Amino acid sequence: MEMLGLSLALFGAALAAALAGIGSAIGIGVAGGAAAGVMTEDPNKFGSCLILQALPGTQGIYGLLIAFFVLNKLGLLGGAGAVALTWNQGLQIFASCLPIAVVGWYSAIWQGKTSAASIQMISKKPEAMGKAIILPAMVETYAVLALLTSILMLMGVQVG
Amino acid sequence: MGVARLKKAELYYHKSVHEQIAAVLQETGACQIISTTENENSSSPAEIQALISSIDEKLADVRYLNRTLTPHYVDPIPALDRMLGERPEATMTELEELAKNTDLKSICDTVRAVEHETGEVRLKLSEAKLNDSILSSLAFLDYPLSIFTEGTKTLTALAGTVKPENLPGLKAALGDFSKLAHDTELIIAPFNEKEKPAEVYAVVIYSRSAESEVREALSKNGFSAVEIPASFALSASEEKEKITASILTLEAKEKELAAKMAELANANMLTVQKLSDYYNSLAGRYNGTAKSDATECAMLTKFWVPADMAGDIKAKIEAISPEIDLTLTDPEPGEEPPSLLNNGNLVRPFNILTELYSSPTYRGIDPTPLLAPFFWIFFGMCLGDAGYALVVFGAILYVFKKYKKISSGVKEFIKLFLFCSISTFIYGVISGSFFGNFIDSFLPFLIPLKNSLMLVDPMTNPMQVLGISLLLGVIHLMFGLLVAAYDKIRNKDFINAIGNDISWFLFIVGLCLFGVGLGGMLPAHFTDIGKVMAVLGAVIIFFYAGKEKKGIINKIISGFLALYGSTSYLGDILSYSRLLALGFGSAVIGMVINLLGGLAADIPYVGWLVAVVVIVGGHLFSIAINILGSFVHPLRLQYVEFFGKFYSGGGEPFTPMTLSQEYINVKA
Repeated sequence: MEMLGLSLALFGAALAAALAGIGSAIGIGVAGGAAAGVMTEDPNKFGSCLILQALPGTQGIYGLLIAFFVLNKLGLLGGAGAVALTWNQGLQIFASCLPIAVVGWYSAIWQGKTSAASIQMISKKPEAMGKAIILPAMVETYAVLALLTSILMLMGVQVG
Repeated sequence: MGVARLKKAELYYHKSVHEQIAAVLQETGACQIISTTENENSSSPAEIQALISSIDEKLADVRYLNRTLTPHYVDPIPALDRMLGERPEATMTELEELAKNTDLKSICDTVRAVEHETGEVRLKLSEAKLNDSILSSLAFLDYPLSIFTEGTKTLTALAGTVKPENLPGLKAALGDFSKLAHDTELIIAPFNEKEKPAEVYAVVIYSRSAESEVREALSKNGFSAVEIPASFALSASEEKEKITASILTLEAKEKELAAKMAELANANMLTVQKLSDYYNSLAGRYNGTAKSDATECAMLTKFWVPADMAGDIKAKIEAISPEIDLTLTDPEPGEEPPSLLNNGNLVRPFNILTELYSSPTYRGIDPTPLLAPFFWIFFGMCLGDAGYALVVFGAILYVFKKYKKISSGVKEFIKLFLFCSISTFIYGVISGSFFGNFIDSFLPFLIPLKNSLMLVDPMTNPMQVLGISLLLGVIHLMFGLLVAAYDKIRNKDFINAIGNDISWFLFIVGLCLFGVGLGGMLPAHFTDIGKVMAVLGAVIIFFYAGKEKKGIINKIISGFLALYGSTSYLGDILSYSRLLALGFGSAVIGMVINLLGGLAADIPYVGWLVAVVVIVGGHLFSIAINILGSFVHPLRLQYVEFFGKFYSGGGEPFTPMTLSQEYINVKA
């Protein structure tokens, strides 16, 4: 039972990296399909399509960031060895990972759909690039807020 | 600063000089033609229409060549260099000379001939490959193939495919014919039962007299015939040799033609690109002046021109001929001229941010100088790393040193990042971030220096930076409200200025002062001032909302609903927490890269090399991904939170006639 805390914390870190990563992969995949379609007509749009396709990729990075944050907090990076954790502390860390895991997962998928629509938009109106970038960024707001929540929660949890 | 003043020019001139006039209007790059052909009494000059149609003919040839040759052309100029202005140069006079000396028709004919021949060769090749595959499937047959195409006096044959499970039925059906003394033979291609092929090849040789019965038996048992080309006469293997030889010849021919096309592309592409810019320039020029009004020998062209350039242009035009009359007038109140942003060197790079949203109207406020300082600070806070700032700054200086001919639009955009790298550096220093925590990890002797310069520490005290972010948000939003109020007062709309904008300003600033005062961060009398401001603001909001409503109940309800609108301000202000989150993101990603680099350094022997690769590659990746985020999110704060308070754009951008410069730098 004494390892339960550590396991819970690691489970949280795994969810943060995995769910947010899955979301980003799906989002980028959806946007990439649209980008490939547009580029068959006009290969010169590669640059702007790539930027729009990359937008839903940040959730995966946020998830990774939180996972590293947790690993660092647990002392698993470097040679220092893991800190002792009660199951209660482990559960707190697990809870801290949930915002970015869940919001990252869902927001990346919807951001990908918005990106795909924006890519369609610049295929017809290349001059509307500014608006095309802002629409997916509106979705990302909630991933940023979730990231912030996770970070603040993690900083609040006392371990060791 | 702001939107440039424009003059409306009315230019009367004789038709004999219309080409020179058009050239000057286009080459100055500052004249936007106003269409005068919209009313029914005017007519577009016929001379110009004729010119346009002759240019369009040339353009059709140029476009054909461009489209056909581009896939075969390897551009000697790398794409990045091209984007940064390293392109061939030519003057319009040189291009005119080139156009005169180039026989576009004959180049087109040559290219068309090669294109046509390539098409024919490809067609033959695909036919040959199809025949080749049929021959491979008939390799089991010992008879010459003339059995299919000609047959003998009494016999003929069919080849086809059949599903293995239909074979027994087919055999039985044809067996019946043999009994009736008709000569039929079924030859089945050898196949492996275990592989369960979907279908197998079969050949049926039969007597001509039983043609219809055989065909019926075949179709009943799912036999689908394959047509054997009439040219086949020898045995399958001999025919295959012939076909293989011809495929080789055709493929060699195809290669030869592709090489010929590549040669044509190399020889002509530069000319084609130059002519493309030349004829597109001409087409733009005359499509512009075609909007003029014309009588039998005179023309009237109207255009917008920036007031500060009007004098120069007037002098240039009047130098063409004495019989020219050019009057410049200010736009009339009812007219809506296009808008051109005119900002100083420090603000100009930010013009693109306004233009990406929507240009201001001619008489509206140009938000560029208002958003520029905020965007600059916000970008700095989001990227927030002194090391990354140095990399960006250095890279941009290198580009400016190496490339001297960057077009002005690209140059301004790059300058935007040059400016923002400075704010990034400043924030990086005061938040102690240099390539993440590079100093703590690898350069411990610099820690005292780093710590002495730090003013905020997001890692250990994030609430402090969150507070700063939200405070910046309040300042940004309140500034937006004041601009909105100023805009309304400018238009003498005092009631709405007070009711919509100043009331909220008082309310929110009052609440903040009150709250901060209560928290003990400001002297006590600020609490009282805040209280008064907030109450005053709330009262104005409450009564202003009900001013159009009838009945005391409706007035009260709408007043409370308006006060409930403060939740949207709460949302707006909290939205600025992204400044903390993104800055935090860059710092932590940097930290993770350093950590991985440190771990990699422990690998025996090659560790240092892996560490360098991880650290350099990782930070470059981090710079790229964080710049994208640091551009997009501050931009959103401008567009959604800030512009939402006062700006809607809706102006038509100033689009003067200019020379087409898609491929080369064209000089007047």
